[in-house]
Amino acid sequence: MKFGLLFILSLIGLTSLLDTINQLFLKSAINSLQVNLSANVFKILKFVWQVILIPKVWLGGLCALVSLCIWLFVLSKSDLNFAFSADSMHYIFIAFASRIFLKEKVGFRRWLGTIFIVLGIVLISIS
Amino acid sequence: MLKNKLTVKILVFLVFSDILETFTQFCFKKGALNAASLDVNNLAGLSLFLKAVFSSGFIWIGIFSVIFTFIIWSTILSKIELSVAVPIASFSYILVPLVSVVFLHEKISLLRWAGIIFILAGVIVVSKSSHEKEGA
Repeated sequence: MKFGLLFILSLIGLTSLLDTINQLFLKSAINSLQVNLSANVFKILKFVWQVILIPKVWLGGLCALVSLCIWLFVLSKSDLNFAFSADSMHYIFIAFASRIFLKEKVGFRRWLGTIFIVLGIVLISIS
Repeated sequence: MLKNKLTVKILVFLVFSDILETFTQFCFKKGALNAASLDVNNLAGLSLFLKAVFSSGFIWIGIFSVIFTFIIWSTILSKIELSVAVPIASFSYILVPLVSVVFLHEKISLLRWAGIIFILAGVIVVSKSSHEKEGA
């Protein structure tokens, strides 16, 4: 591999970070709508359309677009099974972001799961 | 109201979203291989890379697949709690490596499979922990 493992891991971390930001924008946009989602497919499509019209979602979309470009670069340089597994680090970001920005309580089980994911990423990186 | 009860219909949707997610990643990888020889050292390199990647039909199929997955997820999450949906959806952490081996001829060592199992277990534990808030 031409590129260092740490460099590729940092890029995957960046896509995870951008995806997390996108999720935060999306979540905050959906919260502002306050609708009851029904099982009707047409109502879901209408809901998706309403969500798309919120400017905050465009910012999230921009993050997703940049993330996709970085992701494609990562895939051009490393194996899919490695990149996809390492991308699970967004669960770690979300655990920290929830605690720091949303002041959510992150319980024992969530930290345990996060440690499992970190261990898994270390294992796939050294193999 | 959201229910915890997993019906066959929702399960079919979830498995479908797993397969779709795997299909998306497969398409992205195929498209990215189009530009595998290109390096990105400056802006010109970046534009060349993106041009090569986005001229691949696989990328556009992948993007379409992402949008489709998003709509299916919206449907699933309107019917069932996230903590029930995510563990089943995280089946793609096994499916993607399997597809990588079979269709992309990537090699996965035993140690890497062990890492994948750890990640899968971690994702399931994290998603199940959303019940903690009510318990505490």
